[in-house]
Amino acid sequence: MNTVPQIIFPVAIPLIAAFLLPIAGRCHAGFGRIFGRAAVLVTFLASALLAWQVAGAGPASSAMGGFKAPLGIVFYADNLAMAFVLLLNIGVWLFWPSGDEDRSGPYTLLLTLLGGGAGLVLSGDLFNIFVFYEIVAVASYGLAASGGSAAGFGASLRYLLLSALGSSLALMGIALVYAAAGTLNLADLALLAPDVLRGPPGAAAFLLLLIGFGVKAELFPVNSWVPEIYASAPVRVTSLLAGIVSKLALIVILRFLVLVFPMPSAYGLLLTLGILGVLAGELAAYRARDLNSTFAWSSIAQLGVIAIAFSIPGPAGIAAGIALALHHAVVKPAFFFIADKWRGDVKLLSGGARTSPLVAALFVLLSLSIIGIPPLPGFWAKYLLLDAAFSSSPAYWLAAAVVLAGAVVEGAYLFRAAGFFYGGPQKGRGAALFMPGELVPAFVLGAVLLVAMFAIAPLGAYITSMAVQAADVPAIAAQILLGGN
Amino acid sequence: MSLLLRRRFFWEEIDLMSLLDILLLVAALLASGLFVLGRGSFAGWLATVVYGLMLAVLAIAGLALDSGVAFIPSAMSFEILGRNLGWRLDGLGWFFALLTVGAAFFASWYGSGEWGRKQKRMGLQHALLALNVLAMLLLLSSGDLLSLFIGWELVSWAAFAIMTQGGGPAVAAAYRYMIYALAGAMAVFAAIMLVQNVTGGLGFADLQTAISAMSTAQVWVLFILFAAGFGVKMALMPFHLWQAPAYSETPGASSAFLNAVSARMGLFALILVLVKLTGLEALGSLAIPFTFMSAKSALMWVAAITMVVPTFIALMQTDARMLLTWHGIGQGGYMLLGVLVGTSLGTAGGLMHVFNYATYQAALFLAVTAVIHRAGTSDLDELGGLITRMPWTYVTLLMGIIGLAGLPPMNGFVSKWMIYKSLLDGGQPLLLIMAFAATLGTILSVYKLIHNIFLGQLRREHQHLKEAPVSMVLPMLILAGIGFVTGFMPGLALNITDIAQRAIGGDMLPHHLGGVTLATGSLNMLWVVGVLIGAIGAGALIFYLLGNRRYEVHQFDNYAGGHFLSADIRYHFSHEFYPGLARVIGPWYRGSIVRAEQGIGILVNVAGDLWQAVFRVAYTPLYMLLVVVLGLVFTGSWGIVP
Repeated sequence: MNTVPQIIFPVAIPLIAAFLLPIAGRCHAGFGRIFGRAAVLVTFLASALLAWQVAGAGPASSAMGGFKAPLGIVFYADNLAMAFVLLLNIGVWLFWPSGDEDRSGPYTLLLTLLGGGAGLVLSGDLFNIFVFYEIVAVASYGLAASGGSAAGFGASLRYLLLSALGSSLALMGIALVYAAAGTLNLADLALLAPDVLRGPPGAAAFLLLLIGFGVKAELFPVNSWVPEIYASAPVRVTSLLAGIVSKLALIVILRFLVLVFPMPSAYGLLLTLGILGVLAGELAAYRARDLNSTFAWSSIAQLGVIAIAFSIPGPAGIAAGIALALHHAVVKPAFFFIADKWRGDVKLLSGGARTSPLVAALFVLLSLSIIGIPPLPGFWAKYLLLDAAFSSSPAYWLAAAVVLAGAVVEGAYLFRAAGFFYGGPQKGRGAALFMPGELVPAFVLGAVLLVAMFAIAPLGAYITSMAVQAADVPAIAAQILLGGN
Repeated sequence: MSLLLRRRFFWEEIDLMSLLDILLLVAALLASGLFVLGRGSFAGWLATVVYGLMLAVLAIAGLALDSGVAFIPSAMSFEILGRNLGWRLDGLGWFFALLTVGAAFFASWYGSGEWGRKQKRMGLQHALLALNVLAMLLLLSSGDLLSLFIGWELVSWAAFAIMTQGGGPAVAAAYRYMIYALAGAMAVFAAIMLVQNVTGGLGFADLQTAISAMSTAQVWVLFILFAAGFGVKMALMPFHLWQAPAYSETPGASSAFLNAVSARMGLFALILVLVKLTGLEALGSLAIPFTFMSAKSALMWVAAITMVVPTFIALMQTDARMLLTWHGIGQGGYMLLGVLVGTSLGTAGGLMHVFNYATYQAALFLAVTAVIHRAGTSDLDELGGLITRMPWTYVTLLMGIIGLAGLPPMNGFVSKWMIYKSLLDGGQPLLLIMAFAATLGTILSVYKLIHNIFLGQLRREHQHLKEAPVSMVLPMLILAGIGFVTGFMPGLALNITDIAQRAIGGDMLPHHLGGVTLATGSLNMLWVVGVLIGAIGAGALIFYLLGNRRYEVHQFDNYAGGHFLSADIRYHFSHEFYPGLARVIGPWYRGSIVRAEQGIGILVNVAGDLWQAVFRVAYTPLYMLLVVVLGLVFTGSWGIVP
């Protein structure tokens, strides 16, 4: 068994830094910003080191303070968890506020989000997952309102209400699990689940957890906050929430599904909500008239597709979900950066290709990838999904058909926007010029997409191994229960 | 004699491994080179020369394929996600590749001269044309279902890119095309994933294994997905609405290219998947319950309806480009019908029609573009009498429409004759009547085309027009010339279709230079054309020797409806051509498919609005409550019911 105490670092470093940052900011105005960035960098290095160890020596775990699994707090890291911890680190670094203002508030919240998000995917028991989920939620309320606009405050207040309601439902679910099984440790639950969590009580618990965690995962129908928040929050926050934080919540749901609730009703529930999410998101995005809400709704649809993938039992579905999640994490933030330049009606894009041809080309590239046009990475992710779906029961065939039809609608609204870029009024002023500096993260992500296109084979092998590891319930349970010391 | 037999031909010396690689590499270099250098005035000529070289490479490949090589492999292959992707060019792909590069050669030549200089961004058009050629070559040389799908998507998007170049209405038309093409592609995607699910592989052989392993219902699903998905590209009804506007609005030279070959990619894929891999017997045994029909006959009827209806829609068009593109849809029906008959005569006829259509449709489109170049419009109500100003364009158009209508001495007659004959021999009299009806519509509408543009009186504003420049006239005349030569000596074209037919499998059609000799009736175009020319010559002799003294009739000497009009009254009857016929067939134009298309659009809009309403923030906690309650009922019943 592989015991690695450093597993705590990705969680502890940013949280400690978050507490110290306001003090540092008070000492010297500019120091706070540098301190925050440095903390992210240190966290990234620690996470990368840990990921390296995990990739080499297999999944690792550690029990806090030496208290062993059923009683103590256990962290568990496999390749899947580490991949998303690293993704979160890179995301926070890339979407760090670029402004010159020396408010330490957003930096503190970002570091809190970083620590909480890492804890979310590394925790080995239900209660800690809930605690870290709340940390992430609180940080994201603050970040969503950090734009300072009245609309932003209103939106985050409604977001808070919805999220709090969801959390209380999740807590009820956890209570239900505890009442039935007498433990909240995921490994313990994995061993006990076949006996005590089969049947309606288990399914009800899963439903409550799904709805609760689904708020962050943009799951239908508790995602009504999405268009409003994404339209009013600063673009970097939007990119972080849509691109990465939503995936962390889905990973947690996946862990519940695989370890605790591997039963048909649970899979069926996630599948149903996923299909409804795809339908709702794509159709609503088609009717949206501004870029920001188009992408917000399209994000709901994409998360629905990932939910469908995770609802397919077995490693093939998990691999497809991971691939889709990684792809979406690259593409959607870049989209939001482009949209940020043209807030408001989609007609404002008119003539954009003449004033900023690179942005227009990037937009087309991202669109083609997210629709799933070969040989771009988005196609291979969709290929994995269809491959997994078609080898499952007919309900998944229906889901595959919905996803394919959704891609057509997606093409329709994305290329309607591209038409404004390239067409639009030939006379008169074109869309406003942009400063390329503002779009650096978007271009970085576009470049990542292109590089990934040439590395599909190794990426595919890596994702598949990740999925096999994440689906191997006995090994995970053994590692969590016995690995800590 | 023995020396001759032992002689090694030069193409046997060339490493066959490299021919396809050379072709793909050259196409890729050309496309990327033109994106960089496209602005230069030499770019078009460079591209034309390169296409010429590619034709030479294809010719060598054709000799190799003709000498019995099954296919030309490519060194390019990838292994991705446990699937092998490979490319190889067999006879079927080679045939379509020859047409593709040939069409690109003439389009590029045409666009390199004066016409191209007047275009806004000709460099980009040259580059996109090269990109289209590359994408099509990749599609045509695909070696498995996955590379077929990748090529399919590349072709779709490359065509989309070139369609948008017209700007304005062209962008709207291309957008409509894109949605159709995307829906078709998704159908194909689903189909190949179904195959993979059954066999665990995506090779062409896996498709054959899958069909024998699947239940009848599954085979039906597969058939419909493939037929609809590929049918979108060749505008089979009811997926045809996008094609005419999209091709018409594309700038002239590129449009001639798209018209000649782009829609044929759909035919290629249909032949490959349904005829070559699935087999017509399997399609024929796939019966539709409670009817006499099978999947094969259903598809034949779809082809027949595609042949007839768009032809009569073409008849009602008032724009020359729209008229031709609507005919393009109809001509696709002939090709598919011929191939689906399945006899050696039908297959050869269908394939030869692909070749013939490419020659005359490209020529026709280039001629109409020349008219637009000089007169500024292709509106059939605003032209007339141009024969005196643009005689060579007139000759091209005349030869083109004779081919399109399927009359001797042009090549269109030969392929249509072969298709008619195969229908007759195959015991399909109803389909034969459909084919005749479509041909009648074609003859009527092409007369309208040539009359409204070239015959009658010249308009005052066109008095000073000149003939199109040589750079435009020469390519289109050569295309028309090819149409005549392969009509006079169809054996030349049949030699080419032989290579494709051998790759499809089945019996070969014995033929000679002048046509075919069958037990049930033969065709020798050497005789037909000889007699035709002889008869016309004799008629001319009689007229000149025995007729009255020659009397020059000026173009403005009118005779209309029994009234003599003096030369100062201009009169050219073009508006509302065929009023009587229009009264009869007018009610057919209610456009039920147009309404279906609009209906789907409205449905998506309404559903989108509904979902947006669902997302109104105020209701959110209510939804949460609702979902929890419903979910508890759902999970509860799940626990109890099973």
